[in-house]
Amino acid sequence: MIAIQTEDVDIGKLINDAKQRGIGAIVVFDGIVRDDDIKEMELEAYQQVAAKELERISANAAKKFNLLSVDIIHRIGRLKVGDNILIIVVGAGHRKEAYEGSRYIIETIKAGVPIWKKELRENGDRWVPGEHQHGSGTGKPR
Amino acid sequence: MKVKIRFFAQFRELLGTDIVVEPSSGTLVSSLIKEITQKNKKGYDAIFDETGKFREFVILMRNGKRLDNSDANKTKILDGDEIAIFPPVAGG
Repeated sequence: MIAIQTEDVDIGKLINDAKQRGIGAIVVFDGIVRDDDIKEMELEAYQQVAAKELERISANAAKKFNLLSVDIIHRIGRLKVGDNILIIVVGAGHRKEAYEGSRYIIETIKAGVPIWKKELRENGDRWVPGEHQHGSGTGKPR
Repeated sequence: MKVKIRFFAQFRELLGTDIVVEPSSGTLVSSLIKEITQKNKKGYDAIFDETGKFREFVILMRNGKRLDNSDANKTKILDGDEIAIFPPVAGG
């Protein structure tokens, strides 16, 4: 399942669904809204482009790390402290591929998928600056 | 011809989004963005520097594909184009 959506997702079900012939390791990444003195967080996406990017990242990761299953769910809209933002469930034959595949996916998403976060605070709102100032994933003409 | 302009994140807050315009044939991508952003000084200043060039961190897309900022000065808008303008991404 690859999705950008407002709804939360049942991570347990994703793990169960990922179990299939050949799977020996499943790695779950769950990015959550941290308690950084914020009231809420608002997420926005260039949805058509971001969804395609997630599909491309999933396919590349599967090929590069021999992953047998990949789920990526990125939430948008208004989220509270403790809510899930990004869930990545990766299944592979062995732990090494599963860990590396999961890491590749999160870092590639952070580098270039057009999604933005705004922290809503008591003393004023703040757009979270990107870690990659040029948006390297989207930063080069392809 | 009709063209859609989409701003995201802080640019959207300053300038709005899903702006449909009807530029004349031969209009350059950069000229069109300038024309639209000039309606809001804060929005213009967020995207262009004092010499009128795109700020280094500004990302442009044309129909979902990255358009290099320098190419926007020589790329003509075509009918049905969707131009997106946004700051560095911060998902995940």
